[in-house]
Amino acid sequence: MIGSLSVLGAGLAFGLGAIGPALGIGMIGGKTIESMARQPEMAGRLQTTMFIALALAEAIALLGFVLAFVLMGVK
Amino acid sequence: MEGLGDKVTVLLEELASKPVFPGGLSTYMLFLLVAFVLTLTFFVVASRKVSLVPKGIGNVAEMGIEFVRDSMLVDVIGPEGKQYLPFVGTIFFFVLFNNLLGLIPGFKPGTGTMGTTVTWAIMVFIVYNAIGIKRHGAWGYLKSFWPKGVAAPLAAFVALLEIISHFIRPLTLSIRLFANMFAGHVILGIFGIFTVMLWNASLAGKAIALLPLAMQIIMYAFEVFVAFIQAYVFAILTTVYINGAVHAGDH
Repeated sequence: MIGSLSVLGAGLAFGLGAIGPALGIGMIGGKTIESMARQPEMAGRLQTTMFIALALAEAIALLGFVLAFVLMGVK
Repeated sequence: MEGLGDKVTVLLEELASKPVFPGGLSTYMLFLLVAFVLTLTFFVVASRKVSLVPKGIGNVAEMGIEFVRDSMLVDVIGPEGKQYLPFVGTIFFFVLFNNLLGLIPGFKPGTGTMGTTVTWAIMVFIVYNAIGIKRHGAWGYLKSFWPKGVAAPLAAFVALLEIISHFIRPLTLSIRLFANMFAGHVILGIFGIFTVMLWNASLAGKAIALLPLAMQIIMYAFEVFVAFIQAYVFAILTTVYINGAVHAGDH
């Protein structure tokens, strides 16, 4: 019983935890494209900043991923 | 779909680190060593014949190093960032070779285990703090955590947050690289399991099995992209942390 509940918890932890970062990554990408279209000469700097922001948003989703594996191990 | 859980368990056990030789060398240590030899060979061969107009492998190596120097270090830190090229460049290429090595069927990335990435992240943590202390002095660097022109209770709170965020950096830096490489391999494996199970299930299953197979090919291409992006992200975050230490206190 605990085993199957922990698998369910793992799925929920990753699924729900991925919603926020997914929205964040979408916003970061969209806003970067908007800014690049407005100021194409800044494209290089914007891209660097975009990757840093993407990495920070992605880390939150990956924390959920690691948590899911920890929860799956609960017997 | 009976037995899917068992197959996934087998897949995860396959990705766990196991001793290869008696005496402590594990799977991931072996592939780290292979990636180390590959990186070394690549640069030794590339720098053997240095000419004004590089060609072939030397050209690729020069492009990569110029990319790290110009679009990472100089763009983020400024002209003085060039002195950190040996450290950041080594990190970028070693992570990249490790990530790419894992994409060869039967191989595993040295970065696909927590042990490797935590070690590197702690190394980055020590190096950027050492740079900060060297440039500003121990007291000057410590003082840069305290924001100027703010009431003392608020400043104390901000300083506490800053210090906590500094200690979270190695954690997120290591988990990001490890989880990306690990998740990529699990996804490729799971689509492989789907393909084989559908193919063996029934005649109609053979047609449906092409879908996960196509997905696996697409994911493989995506994993090549991820290998480059994660090496870039690891190196650029190292650069950003070094930048924070170099320009500590001027913000």
